[in-house]
Amino acid sequence: MPESVPSSLIIDTYRDVFRAERAGARRQDPLGWIISVPDTHQKSVLAALDKERDIRVLTCSTEDEANGIAAGLWITGEPVIVMIQHAGLYASVNTLRGISMDGRVPIFYMIGLLSREKDKDPLESRQSMVRFCEPLLDVFSVPHARLEGPDDVHYIPEYYRLSRERRGPTAVLVGLPTI
Amino acid sequence: MSEPMKPEDVLKIIADARGTAICVPTMTTAPAWRTLAPDDLSVYCQGFMGGASTLGLGLALGAPDRRVIVFDGDGSLCMQLGSLPTIAGVAPRNLVHLLFKNNVYHTSGAQGMPGGERVDFVMMAKGAGYRNAFAIHTLDELKKRLPAILSDEGPLFVELHTGLADRTPMTDRGGVPFPQQVEKLHARLTA
Repeated sequence: MPESVPSSLIIDTYRDVFRAERAGARRQDPLGWIISVPDTHQKSVLAALDKERDIRVLTCSTEDEANGIAAGLWITGEPVIVMIQHAGLYASVNTLRGISMDGRVPIFYMIGLLSREKDKDPLESRQSMVRFCEPLLDVFSVPHARLEGPDDVHYIPEYYRLSRERRGPTAVLVGLPTI
Repeated sequence: MSEPMKPEDVLKIIADARGTAICVPTMTTAPAWRTLAPDDLSVYCQGFMGGASTLGLGLALGAPDRRVIVFDGDGSLCMQLGSLPTIAGVAPRNLVHLLFKNNVYHTSGAQGMPGGERVDFVMMAKGAGYRNAFAIHTLDELKKRLPAILSDEGPLFVELHTGLADRTPMTDRGGVPFPQQVEKLHARLTA
């Protein structure tokens, strides 16, 4: 059965990911960037990030913007994670394709599965935005993993590194609201 | 009312003055810029119309010691109009957002833009919170104001009233592919 993941665990993992990418870099401030279109599912993480001094959070109007900003930051060598809701994935497929896939720009996404039923596999969800999320990523061959509890946080650094290695998009899907 | 400026003339003036600024052309500014400034400090928004402003924002935030100049189009900006408050909200001091306003979707056959000439992007940028925003109608005015545009604290928005470019990405498809431009600029900025 899936469990909610504590925000502190996710943010500590973000810090580790950013530190690893910043190792040896001239610039250390901020430690890393979060580009976000606010996701209800991950709102506790966003609230906790508001209190962080070393991670810079930038809120966008749309997920298309998030993709462009993430690309610009990556080009300059900055560590960056994009946090969106599944609805935002649907809304930004063109820039996912044009920037991250065709442009070979690494973008790592944390995607919240708002309204996912706790007793259902996401692929069996009654909610279309939950049900089609992974198949949509599969259509574009975007590697993805599920964050279904605290034991799954290792996927965050793994898929972040994978986005850099494959020079394209990867995603971790947040199964339940974070706490 | 003066004749609209030729975009190629505008770009030439900017190319001669931009120094080491990173430039983000899009759509009909791309073919001319390739000829005027064939360097690795430019990355073209191609294949994701509307993305120039936010690609420029990311570059500005990641390279705060460099000027970043976005050559946006009115049709392109309308696709990501929300980028105006996003940019103004984070207020990068090194970002110049130029808008080449020709009132049409030139690349697809010069169909009229929604709202056409009446649309006031300067008002939109000011309303979004840009540090300064104004329109330029003549090359003389551009030459006079360009030093300040390239040095004043941003984000700055400049609406350039232009006619149609001689070439579009459909009539002139050349240039370095986007992923290679990305790689070159990444290598240059992270060296």
